[in-house]
Amino acid sequence: MNDELKYIGKPQPKFDAKERTTGRSVYGHDIELSGMLHGAILRTKYPCAEIISIDVSEAEQLAGVECVITAADIDANKISFKEDHPVLKSGLVSCIRDEIAAVAAETKEIAEQALKLIKVKYNERQGIYDPFESLEEEAVQINQWQPEDSPKNVSMTFEYEHGDLEEQKSKSKVIVKRRYHLQKMTHCCMGSSNITADYNPAEKKLTLYCGTQVPFLYQRDMAHCLKMDPSRIRVIQPVIGGGFGSKLDVNPFEPICAFLSMKTGRPVQILYSRYEEFLASPTRQSMAIDLTSGADENGRFTFREVEIIKDNGAYTSWGATTPFVMMQTFSSLYKMPACKLTSTAVYTNNPNAGSFRGYGNPQATFSVERNIDLLAEELGMDKSQIRKLNSNTPGEITGQGMHFRTCGLLEAMEIVAEKSNYESKKDMEQSGRYRRGIGLGSMLHVGGGAKIYRSDGCGTTLKLDPYGCLTIITGSSEIGQGSETVLAMIAMEEMGLSEDKIKIINSDTDVKPWDVGVHASRTSFIAGNSLLGAIGKMKEMISPRAAKLMGVEIQDLVYEKGLIRCAQSDVQIALDKVVRDLHFMPPHELAEVSYFYEPPSKYQDKGFKGDVSGNYAFAAQAIEVEVDTYTGNVKVLDVWVAQDVGKVLNPMGLQGQIEGGVVMGIGYGLTEETQMKDGYVLNPNFHNYKLLTASDVPEIHFYPVETNDPAGPYGAKGVAEAPLIPTAAAIANAVSNILGVEMNELPVTPERVLKAMKNKSELTERLV
Amino acid sequence: MSYDFNIESPQTADELLAVIAANQDKNFRFGAGGTDLLLELKRAPQENLTVVNLAQLKDPIFKSITKVAGGYRIGALVTAGEVLDHEEVKSEFYTLWEAAHNLASMQIRQVATVGGNLCTASPSGDIACALVALHARCEIINTKGELRSVSVADFSTGVRKTVIQKNEVLRSVVVPINSNPNLHSGFIKVGTRLSMECSVVSLAYHIQMDDNRTIRHAGIAIGAVAPTIKFTDSACAFLIGKSKLIDTEREEFAGLISDYASPISDVRASAWYREEVLFNISKGLME
Repeated sequence: MNDELKYIGKPQPKFDAKERTTGRSVYGHDIELSGMLHGAILRTKYPCAEIISIDVSEAEQLAGVECVITAADIDANKISFKEDHPVLKSGLVSCIRDEIAAVAAETKEIAEQALKLIKVKYNERQGIYDPFESLEEEAVQINQWQPEDSPKNVSMTFEYEHGDLEEQKSKSKVIVKRRYHLQKMTHCCMGSSNITADYNPAEKKLTLYCGTQVPFLYQRDMAHCLKMDPSRIRVIQPVIGGGFGSKLDVNPFEPICAFLSMKTGRPVQILYSRYEEFLASPTRQSMAIDLTSGADENGRFTFREVEIIKDNGAYTSWGATTPFVMMQTFSSLYKMPACKLTSTAVYTNNPNAGSFRGYGNPQATFSVERNIDLLAEELGMDKSQIRKLNSNTPGEITGQGMHFRTCGLLEAMEIVAEKSNYESKKDMEQSGRYRRGIGLGSMLHVGGGAKIYRSDGCGTTLKLDPYGCLTIITGSSEIGQGSETVLAMIAMEEMGLSEDKIKIINSDTDVKPWDVGVHASRTSFIAGNSLLGAIGKMKEMISPRAAKLMGVEIQDLVYEKGLIRCAQSDVQIALDKVVRDLHFMPPHELAEVSYFYEPPSKYQDKGFKGDVSGNYAFAAQAIEVEVDTYTGNVKVLDVWVAQDVGKVLNPMGLQGQIEGGVVMGIGYGLTEETQMKDGYVLNPNFHNYKLLTASDVPEIHFYPVETNDPAGPYGAKGVAEAPLIPTAAAIANAVSNILGVEMNELPVTPERVLKAMKNKSELTERLV
Repeated sequence: MSYDFNIESPQTADELLAVIAANQDKNFRFGAGGTDLLLELKRAPQENLTVVNLAQLKDPIFKSITKVAGGYRIGALVTAGEVLDHEEVKSEFYTLWEAAHNLASMQIRQVATVGGNLCTASPSGDIACALVALHARCEIINTKGELRSVSVADFSTGVRKTVIQKNEVLRSVVVPINSNPNLHSGFIKVGTRLSMECSVVSLAYHIQMDDNRTIRHAGIAIGAVAPTIKFTDSACAFLIGKSKLIDTEREEFAGLISDYASPISDVRASAWYREEVLFNISKGLME
């Protein structure tokens, strides 16, 4: 591509920063349509109960109430990945977020008041809240619509294998087996869940203003649920206050809102309170991972054998498919001769889990990286050396069939070891109240999308107007990750336009071309490549006319500063003039093109083998912490991050992704947990859900590794999920190193630290 | 249930007392910074509620920190931020300064008040805990303008309960001046994050030593480990006359403090953890 880049690689403030910071952005909460009603949802009182009766008569009579619905009032297909989730429940409620009835009223206050007038009689039942108990023979079946071909209470299983496990076991000098417990976690999007549904009975069309991350799959899934033609549903994405994976699934409140609008013929809006957000938005899966791994006498890894039990909750979401990503880490992070994995997603009466930034990878990486430290300890090897010895390498095709055409893992590990001064910190003397030490973690994640749907592509339509302004209509979505800015930068670079000559339209399914959605760190890669393809087509249209008007050769044309000039002479022409010439002179053409980019990745075979992504991202982190042995508090002092990003597109946006991801990783590692007891959420508020604050953020030192991957736009790879993935592992490794204990459960709370210290000292006393 | 309430905003002390007198047969609550009250009302809306808004009161006794005979008077409406800006509070009563510094977040410290922290009567109140350690006294006035004084240690009678009668309002607290030149004063807050944290265990200490570094006065209070903040008399008495503690004495001292704790397990921490940490930080206090 271009030898000298003018915009790519230079810091660019976010395209939407001015709107956002001046309060001009229109979020879902700001939408107010003429005649709009306000919806509210009645949820169950118990996590597991039989509904004996529902009486809505009093609620219906309340002045200002337009409509009350229960399961009996709607004709709907079930939602969810396994179609096991009715949007309104009758008969049984199976988790504490279950929706029983909904109200549409003139004001939000009236709607909430009406909820209180609905009388539900329950017969409470004993629920099952531990997935291991769900698997016991005498356990009752939790979800009556569970897949018929699955064993009782099993929603989804994955089995994967490569290499000769027994042979590798026999080659192993050391074998480590541990169980890791990973917690539930909530996305904590600053913009709470919201939807405004506007059904037009005359046209039989439904417009949904909502924050989905996957507008075209959402359109299809909503249509299925509502029994409508998908093309009669228009999805408009207002500015989205955070996604992080929480908006991959259709959740019940969305079709409920649509039904309220269809029943009343008026727009209806549902906004979650923070309490509802904690209670009723999907969580990161909690799971138990049994990981056995080995290494030979030289420290070379031999095999990994993994059994995972995941708490699916009462219904199945996209989150149940996280083993797709987890198995990549087990099979292919570091060179791995043999790997066997089984994963079972198990129904419980807990709220259903969903997808969350990293998509299972933080959990998988935690177990892998903890086991590596233990292997190194048993072998008496340095923990940085053993990782470097086993590093993935460029050109490697892994046992799972992933082709690492470029790979910056070794370089990333070397950078963090050097910059953190790892050698001098790894074996610090430990005494006194405050103790310091360092831990390591690495990660592998898809960097060029992930072909888990039949297409992983994205469409782009470009329109050059007669004034030289370029409108980019992209299928991709902006959820705060900064993709609009990267797309604008690409257009500025290639078309020689300034920022004020670029418009982006990306929020309306009636207008924008198809895209699979914003997930898997894919947008800059996929939508970027799509845009580059579209720009190529646009130039095929513009350049011949420009060359003709200028009397020069096409290959000599340079696009810059809104002009097209000749590299060989001082002849130039304004871009807008060429566009007008196309319009006004025969054969009269519009300067408009469309392009669809499908990445070169492969749909995996039945054994989950195949080159699933356009490229692969790698990262290493070193984290120094201080443990207060009196309180058990772990303070993260410094985080060194080196990440193979392929090529830095926007350093400012990248830094934001890295810092945000690391902080989310620290929260995962130390403080954040959706605490449950007997099916109830114990901490549905920021008071007791310990999302970190600005005061808790340590120094984050970031070193991009540029491997210039041939598949990426300008060589770039996806970056967004990676910085979260190894953080908790590195923290737990650091604490374990410092105290000589094993922190194998997240989060590493002060209480768990003190307990681990106490258990260690009691054990020592007994041995003495 | 609605979130509606009536609001009265007296501007002077006289107006305030008149508002209290006029509302004796009604359901009313005081609000100053509102940082606790709004959460409470959101959680449990009350019918026919009047909020007596103190934020517009201009009375200097309520609003300022002044030197008085034998001590410093801190008005009930002095904010945590104003405590932090006061040089003498920092140099003379560091435990109070550090408690205010650890309170919630910078934004909340600009509106949250000393009086609010006392009247909300939470066992994990940070400013309240420091004031207990400092032997401070509450000055309470009633609708007739009569003043009575109660030690801060006795002010709270249980979770969300105080000695304030319906015809009374907390006007100020008085912190006695130090009688010795050397201080070992501070506030230990145990929690998981550095801002927006409610103490899991707290310990306020204000130890005064003479020219020979012999301890002459000691005030140690603990929070979040019992229904109310506890002043630890016997631990304080243990220190008098000593200057340094040897290892076994530190353990004994920590044991004396721990005797005042009767913690519970909740979503933030277990009773076991609270006991363990209280003992550890108490031991560390005289290291």
